This record gives sequence, structure tokens and C-alpha cells, in this order.
Amino acid sequence: MLAKDMVAASAKPLLLSILAEGESYGYEIIQRVRELSGGQIEWSDGMLYPVLHRLERDGLIESEWKEADTGRQRKYYFISTDGRKVLKTERQQWLTVHNTLGKLWKHKPVTI
Amino acid sequence: METQTRYDLNAAMENWRAELAAQPNLTAEVRRELETHLRDAIAGFQQRGLNDEESFWLACKRVGRPQQLGEEFCKIDPVAVWRERIFWMWLALFLSNTLGSIGYSLAVAVRPLSTQAANAVVAWEILQITLLFVSMLIPLVLAIGLAKGKWVGQFSKLMQIAGNRRRLTMTALACILLSSTVRIVSWEIFISKSHLRSDVVWPNSIPSASYALITGLLLVWLMPSQNRKTPKRA
Repeated sequence: MLAKDMVAASAKPLLLSILAEGESYGYEIIQRVRELSGGQIEWSDGMLYPVLHRLERDGLIESEWKEADTGRQRKYYFISTDGRKVLKTERQQWLTVHNTLGKLWKHKPVTI
Repeated sequence: METQTRYDLNAAMENWRAELAAQPNLTAEVRRELETHLRDAIAGFQQRGLNDEESFWLACKRVGRPQQLGEEFCKIDPVAVWRERIFWMWLALFLSNTLGSIGYSLAVAVRPLSTQAANAVVAWEILQITLLFVSMLIPLVLAIGLAKGKWVGQFSKLMQIAGNRRRLTMTALACILLSSTVRIVSWEIFISKSHLRSDVVWPNSIPSASYALITGLLLVWLMPSQNRKTPKRA
């Protein structure tokens, strides 16, 4: 299980990356993170929405209520142009950390 | 005899919703979003073969306790919470001001006045008090009624005038126009009855109309975001 501060720090790039793949809603995002991390990153549902709303307020993502296939209304989030720009810099920074640690741990570097 | 009480998922949902609604930091839109999430989570557990009670219990545990949710949201977006509170406060102020102003103006026009200026001043005092009463009494009666659960349906229907930004703007403008018109007309009647000079009308109407206008503008600006957007069709 990932430590709490790591979960908090990685929330923004994870959310932006997931939404960069296409629009999604809260429940689906959590499922996706769980699945991608092999259950290692467990987001509490209550923590996700405040983060989503903050990203929306900062203009990195946008949202819209839409009807799902089941007929139920859901709030879908999608990434904005600003969000894509921020994701790009976030990506570079995370890869810098990754590569630095990788050198120390004798892993192969990952190219940007 | 076996007494099996069937688990009532709808009642459980209703309880959860009520508990969530009691959290002062959660806006209506956030509550709606959390509810769809809870329903999705319940459906997910049911698909895995769990019964209603187990699914509901696990989903609740995942989503988090309502009180905790309220605190989390307040930490991240205290502005939105306050914005909504201030919006309702201004709405109440605006309505009470409009109603009070109309009631006042009508009283000015209707009241039979003696031609003497001294009596006109006394009449004035009485009207000031009428204004105060009308503008305080109506919201008070409304608040007590709503708190006791009366007229809730009608009131929500009435509140649809705040359904989106354009409708709210139109309604606010209509209110301002109506109260200003009533005010000017009744002033004219008052003055013709009391034989006062009529040039006091306009200087008095301008600040009151601009006050109403500023209140209206603030309302439209403060409007909670879930009402502001009209959802696009995808």
C-alpha cells in the first residue's frame, strides 16, 4: 500500500493522465486507479471529489452532467487545454524523480 | 416461524441522503454527485453477488462518513461553500427588499391623506414602520412555514426562477422594474394628494433603484455554479 503523502502527491498527475485518455466519472476513475496499480493505490472515494473539484476550480479539468447508458445522470470530467499543459510539466518532473532514483537503484532510465 | 425482515435499500439510501444533507459544507451538486457514486458502488458490489445490505454497508464505508466528507470538502473549497450561503442570504435580502418596497409604495398611494404638511410627516412615519413590518414579516412567516415543512413543494417550484442564470437575471430585472414602477406611480399619487412639490420624486427613486440593481447583479454573480451552467447536450 502506498503511503498517504505519496497518494496525495500523485493524485494530480494520475487524474490528469486518466482524463487525458478520455472523459470519465468519479466511480470509474477510482476503479481505474485500483486496476492500474494492482490494488496498491487505494483512493478513498471521499478524497477523490475534493481533488477533482479543486482541479476544476483551477481550470485544469471541466465537468458536465450527462446521462449514462443506464439512464442515470452522472457528472463527467474531461481535461482542458490548460490541464494538458500542466500534465506535460508534471510528467517531466515525475520522470526526473523516477530517473534519478532509477540511477541510484540501477534501473534502466525512462525517456520522456 | 421464521421472521425474516427484508432489508430496505431505499430506506437506507434515504437515511444516508438525509445525513449528507445535514452537512453544512456540502453543496447540493456535491451531494448529488456523491449519491450517484454511492449508487454505482452499490451496483458494483451487487454484481459481485453481495446482497443489498452488504453492498450498501461496503459502499458507505468506501465513500466515507458524511461528516468526514463535509470536512474534506471544506478544506479544499471553502469559497464555494460560502458563496452559496451568501447567495441565499442575498436572495432573501433582495426579495424582502422588493416586497417591502412594493408594500410601502402601495401604502403610500392608498392611504387617504390630509392636505396639511404636518400630517403628511406623521403619515410618513407610519409608512416607514409599515415598510419595516412588511419587509421583515414576510420572510419571517415564510421561514417559519418552511421550517415546519409547509409549502415546501410550492416553494421549490417557485425557486425554479433561479434555475439558471438567464432566468434569474430576467426575474430580478422584472422585480426591480415592478418595484420601481410601483414606487414612482405611488409617489405621484401621494404628491398629488398632499400638494407637495413633485421634484423630490426622482432624486429619491434613483438611489433606491440602483440599490435594487446592485443587489440583483450580486445575486446573478453569486449564483451557485450548478445552476449557472445549462447542461450541453452531448
